[in-house]
Amino acid sequence: MNTSFEERIVWVNMIALLLALGIYFVVAGSMLRAGVTNLVAYVPLFTIAVVVQVALIAAGSIAAKVLGRADERDERDRLIAWRAEANASWLVGVGILAGISAMVVAVPNVWVAHLLLLSLFLAELLKAALQLLYYRRGF
Amino acid sequence: MGRKPKSTITNNIRRLRFEHDAMTQQQLADAIGVTRQTVNAIEGNKYSPSLEVAFRIATVFGVPLEHVFEYTPPSG
Repeated sequence: MNTSFEERIVWVNMIALLLALGIYFVVAGSMLRAGVTNLVAYVPLFTIAVVVQVALIAAGSIAAKVLGRADERDERDRLIAWRAEANASWLVGVGILAGISAMVVAVPNVWVAHLLLLSLFLAELLKAALQLLYYRRGF
Repeated sequence: MGRKPKSTITNNIRRLRFEHDAMTQQQLADAIGVTRQTVNAIEGNKYSPSLEVAFRIATVFGVPLEHVFEYTPPSG
């Protein structure tokens, strides 16, 4: 197998994030459109999404170990993770600025909270995508 | 403004492995403490290792560093 254990783990994390939080945003989006403004109403849904994500990561990590050697992280894995994080962190900054701007114009808290959560979600997704790109393309 | 000319670093790891009893990428990886995929990336010039890993590779083959890696400065 030509993928390292760390690369397989990145795939697992990305798929788990995409499935769990992706579904959360689809459902939460429909709740927002329906006018549910109480933030507490989203807590059970978010809790389920996090539990599903953790379960997917656990199952995926076992599968990643079964599929090949479980080597320790080496310098290339660390460098790829650092570079991907550096190139994806701007999305969090954009989310925070958008969140502050939304608060200034008195957008309801529930929208601001989801805007911030969305920026974190997208930043993590971009980080994983960049890691996979760097593993394949090199740098 | 034109693009800055790039330097290149190539290596002879593949040849050196075959000269050392056809050492596999996995054997070399285990000897220098990285994954086989990292050795593969170094061999394919997709990744330039740290100085420490470069020295470890040279030590495994028992040759000076410049026999393993070749640096071509930017032209022009």
